[in-house]
Amino acid sequence: MSLGHYLLLGAGLFVIGLFGALTRRNVIGILMSIELMFNAANINLAACNSYLHPAGVAGMTLAIFVITVAAAEVVVGLALVLAVYRNSATAYVEDFSLLKG
Amino acid sequence: MLQHVYLIPLIPLAASLLILLGAKEDPRSPMPFLGIAATGWCLLQSIAIFYGAATGELSLPYGADWNWFSFGATAGGKPFLYDMPVGVLIDGSAAVMLVVVTLVSFLVQVYSLSYMRGDPRFKRYYAYLSFFTASMLGLVVSSNLLVTFSCWELVGFSSYLLIGFWFERPEPPYAAKKAFITTKLGDLGLYLALMLIFCQVGSFQIPQIREFVARGFMPAAVATAIGLGILCGAAGKSAQFPLFIWLPDAMEGPTPVSALIHAATMVAAGIYLVAKCYFIFAISPVAMETVAWIGAITALLAATMAVVSYDIKRVLAFSTVSQLGFMMCALGSWGFSAGLFHLTTHAAFKALLFLCAGSVIHAVHTNDMRQMGNLDKKMPITFFATLVGTFAIAGIPGFSGFFSKDMILERVFEHDPRLFVILAISACLTAFYMFRLVFMTFLGQERDLDRYLHAHESPWPMTVPLFVLMALAAFSGWLLDRGEIFTRLVNFQALPGIAPAHEAAHAPAYLTWYVTAFVFFAIYLAFRLYGGSNFREAESIKRRCAPVFNLLERRYYLDDIFLALVGLSDRAARLAFWIDSEVVDRFFVDGWGLLMLALARLCHLFDDNLIDRSVDATGGLSVSLGGTLRWIVRRGLVQEYLLWSAAVMSVLTLLTLPAQRYCLGASVGLGLLAILTLLLVRRPR
Repeated sequence: MSLGHYLLLGAGLFVIGLFGALTRRNVIGILMSIELMFNAANINLAACNSYLHPAGVAGMTLAIFVITVAAAEVVVGLALVLAVYRNSATAYVEDFSLLKG
Repeated sequence: MLQHVYLIPLIPLAASLLILLGAKEDPRSPMPFLGIAATGWCLLQSIAIFYGAATGELSLPYGADWNWFSFGATAGGKPFLYDMPVGVLIDGSAAVMLVVVTLVSFLVQVYSLSYMRGDPRFKRYYAYLSFFTASMLGLVVSSNLLVTFSCWELVGFSSYLLIGFWFERPEPPYAAKKAFITTKLGDLGLYLALMLIFCQVGSFQIPQIREFVARGFMPAAVATAIGLGILCGAAGKSAQFPLFIWLPDAMEGPTPVSALIHAATMVAAGIYLVAKCYFIFAISPVAMETVAWIGAITALLAATMAVVSYDIKRVLAFSTVSQLGFMMCALGSWGFSAGLFHLTTHAAFKALLFLCAGSVIHAVHTNDMRQMGNLDKKMPITFFATLVGTFAIAGIPGFSGFFSKDMILERVFEHDPRLFVILAISACLTAFYMFRLVFMTFLGQERDLDRYLHAHESPWPMTVPLFVLMALAAFSGWLLDRGEIFTRLVNFQALPGIAPAHEAAHAPAYLTWYVTAFVFFAIYLAFRLYGGSNFREAESIKRRCAPVFNLLERRYYLDDIFLALVGLSDRAARLAFWIDSEVVDRFFVDGWGLLMLALARLCHLFDDNLIDRSVDATGGLSVSLGGTLRWIVRRGLVQEYLLWSAAVMSVLTLLTLPAQRYCLGASVGLGLLAILTLLLVRRPR
């Protein structure tokens, strides 16, 4: 296993996430896809840390931070989704065009 | 007693402040008694000093100085520390002046109790009087010429306040302004003289200046300049030719004020200042001669003007000017003690005459002598007092004026017979116009019945001062001349090496009697012309010599000359204003502005067309670019936005890749993008 494999895994995961985020109609699905992209980044961080700089912990620490922030982001995102759903009774993202300029 | 002499000016000052600020205005205010008490204390002190000096118990001069401030300066490249002390200097002349000022001030304040009763600004009047007294006493006792000058100006200021005391009427404010400005004209010279003194000596202390002069350090030319400057100031304050024009108008003030300020004390300040700086005049024959001639001319001109005036106070005012001319002339003829002697006696009899005039005016409510007449029975005390004063001023043997005028004439005769002739004529004119005043006011027939019936003798606060001054006018000359007390006390200590110019002639003893004979002839003439009930002869003379009378009544056109000068300076100012507004303002200021305006227009053009346009263009570019981008994402789908972001990011990322992988990366990326786009586009709404 080399670093390249890990990066490839990360890239694949990211692309899957991006694909999901662009194609899913349901907001919940989009949020989940975004989580996938976060985790792709986390894999990159952890892999780079252990291969390029084994003595340090900066990458892992950053990954932990990302996980925390992602959790918070999901909380906010779900709260928004709930609020929107209560108002418009839909979770389809193409109906969310209230802020269209 | 002498160590507390500095209190003499300070106590009236404190009294004036207390009166002015410490009580409400009230016609029945008791505050005037505070002023009277303060002046009375000063009077007692002054008399004690004078008595001590006259008997020889006190040794004069007495001087005491206190530090005021010091200042550094460089003179000729070397640093110097100048001390500016403030102090008192009491010599014989100061002792005499102290008595004169405090005595007249005291009597005038007592007199005013009745004269000013019921005036709406009764209290303020007393505050002003005390303030005047304080400034005048400060002028007398100060050893520092700068302080003397300050007091000199304060005296002028209080004179201004008091002349314009009845400011509701139109004339007094005008007269006050005239007096103030005219004396300021003279003060300009005095100020320059003081500057010159300081430049020369480096001190304002009279003893030091005297020492400087005595050692011969002061060149005669500088002394001349200083002397003429001082004379200029003295001519303003003491109403000498040609600056005497303010004094007749100053009679608009209350009569007791005229007695105090414009007869006895303030106008004597000029004489006193010349006497104080006499040592400077002593080394400058030019300045001395100028003093003498100015004095003589003033004496004659004023006496002639007094002859034609019908206003009782103006006659006295001209008479004051004339007598001041006598004093000035005496000083200029090396008659130091003669001049000051006349100052002293004149203060007594002229104050007396003014207070008598005040008494008459109080009784008949007019200044015009043509509306008086036959008042001698109605006002016996005033009549008697006026008579005594007139005898004194005319120089009737035995009365005070006789002694002093005699001394002056003798002195002047020895100095220059031409001056003597002028003064002798003036003395005869003095007798003439003074008896004319007495005849017109008190004798003959009443000419205005209403006024005559209304007339009454004045109450005691007005008559008591008359009695005191009457005694002084009658006897002070004899008292002070006896055993030459005055000359011993007030004497100019000649500087070493500088003796008065020696005169060829010595005054013969019969001179006095010649003059006296002429004086009696003048009195007879006055009786012939004005003794009767109508003045037919006088009127016919007046008609026949109309041009002369006109000249005199117009005061030698001096007022007109001054007004013309004022008009001239006015026109000069207008010309300067025109130049300023039409040339300087128009061409330089406005022209500069116009130039700037043109430049600014140019800048504006540049700014508008180039800078702003380019800014607008940038903005417009952004706007159109934004509009275009907005068209791309016009559907408002979140995922569309995300797609475009991802696409742009991908492209940017591809650009950063090394060249050999570029094709691979690009094809992979673009393929991916194409798939995504298809996915998005084909999706139904």
